[in-house]
Amino acid sequence: MLSDVAPPTARRVLQLDDVSFRYGRTPILRQVSLCVDEGEFVAVVGANGSGKTTLMKLALGLLRATAGHSRLFGTDVGAFGDWGKLGYVPQRATAMSALPVSVDEVVQSGLAARTGLFRRRSPEQRQRLEHVVELLGLTGDRRSRISELSGGQQQRALIARALVTAPRLLIMDEPTAGVDAEARGVLRDSLEHLVNVEGMAVVYVSHDPEAFAGLAHRVVEVQGGRVRTAGQGRDVPAEAAWAP
Amino acid sequence: MNPLELGFMQRAVVGCVVIAAVAPLVGSFIVQRGQSLVGDGMGHVAFAGVGLAFLIGADPVLGALTSTVLAGLLLVRMGRAGLAGDLAIALIFYGGIAVGYLFSSRANAGQTRLVGLLFGSPLNLTWGQVRVIVALAAVVVVVTVALYPRLVALAFDEQAARVAGVPTDRIVMALTLMVALVVVGGMSSIGLLLISAMMVVPVAAAAQLSSSYRTTLLVGSGIGAASAFVGLLASYYRDYAPASAIVLVAIGCYLVASVWRALNRRWRPVLSSR
Repeated sequence: MLSDVAPPTARRVLQLDDVSFRYGRTPILRQVSLCVDEGEFVAVVGANGSGKTTLMKLALGLLRATAGHSRLFGTDVGAFGDWGKLGYVPQRATAMSALPVSVDEVVQSGLAARTGLFRRRSPEQRQRLEHVVELLGLTGDRRSRISELSGGQQQRALIARALVTAPRLLIMDEPTAGVDAEARGVLRDSLEHLVNVEGMAVVYVSHDPEAFAGLAHRVVEVQGGRVRTAGQGRDVPAEAAWAP
Repeated sequence: MNPLELGFMQRAVVGCVVIAAVAPLVGSFIVQRGQSLVGDGMGHVAFAGVGLAFLIGADPVLGALTSTVLAGLLLVRMGRAGLAGDLAIALIFYGGIAVGYLFSSRANAGQTRLVGLLFGSPLNLTWGQVRVIVALAAVVVVVTVALYPRLVALAFDEQAARVAGVPTDRIVMALTLMVALVVVGGMSSIGLLLISAMMVVPVAAAAQLSSSYRTTLLVGSGIGAASAFVGLLASYYRDYAPASAIVLVAIGCYLVASVWRALNRRWRPVLSSR
């Protein structure tokens, strides 16, 4: 079980100030503000189509806000370059691949920006690779073709890819969608370790409150293009009040 | 007589095997990104450059290289601006072949020469053309090796790669230019309309036999090279059109690999339970 709140001296890892976004003329988010501190676990909830994924893409600079600012580790997202501090698990099932891809290759692709022809993996990177593979229970599947694994195993490989750079902030978009109970259990244990032991900040997007019950320090709800705090510390609701 | 002792066969083998071995390296990334037909489209655009070169009396390779590189840059810019829809790409590609034929006919380039460029004429390669093919292939190999981890990350998941710090815009640009180099390299050997098949078919065959991306690349490259060699020998002994024979051998490899995989999936559980 996690402590109730993030440490009081924690650094801010993510900050959205009055961010708005529209697709064409349709407003999706209106003047949304959100802060996440080091070591904090924030769950982002809301019905399907409420703008949760858009919010995360704005935070990561994958979409450009029509108004407002997004900062990562104190730097404007447009100027941010220290991507190794960030891990991202996208919503869609990216493990679906036209060509054969092994679990090892998927996980190692998280290090792509830090390795190359003249930049071999450092001992620390190799050690981290082994650690995340073990943490996510993938040791026996490393050489397997990812498309032949279960949905839960595929999702764990994508999470391992996000963790391989030892990020300080992990953003996960519906990581348990279509995942079996065993994989959910492994994911919960891993997240508990990452937040409590490694001090990682986690933003966890989900419309399933069971997935983060007992883990989240804070729950924020996206509704009608706005964000509001739905629970904090021990008050984090365990019921699916916001479920679709 | 051993056909490999003949000068024209030696040039054809070197030119075709080299480009057919390199094409799948680039092809694997475009197949994984769901852009299998981009090589075909680049062939159309290259034809426009060739036509213009005929018209102004320039080197056709230079014309093809210029038009494909410009089209590649345009496509990447359109992609960034969200304008690279199916229709816009089709307009560029089909416009390319229309312009190419218009210019070629105005320049009285001759049907035989045009057919050779569209469907390949490896038996007419000169050593100068072979050197150009080898040089372009070498550039593609070096770039692929240098950018391999980033190309793989981009091919798996562009958004995740971007968040992992991969400069995706630049890597997409490099990949598009590599497609252009392969198309130009394959122009005089396998032909502008058939070289794209060598980017895709050997990769599809290799995917049936591999369990990792790296293996798919290497096996695909081997299948490409072997298809070129066998296709050329078949064309020598049976008088087939050489580039068509090369592509058909590659398709044959795909069919054999698919059957092998289907049988393997069906019978492996039975055999391993005994």
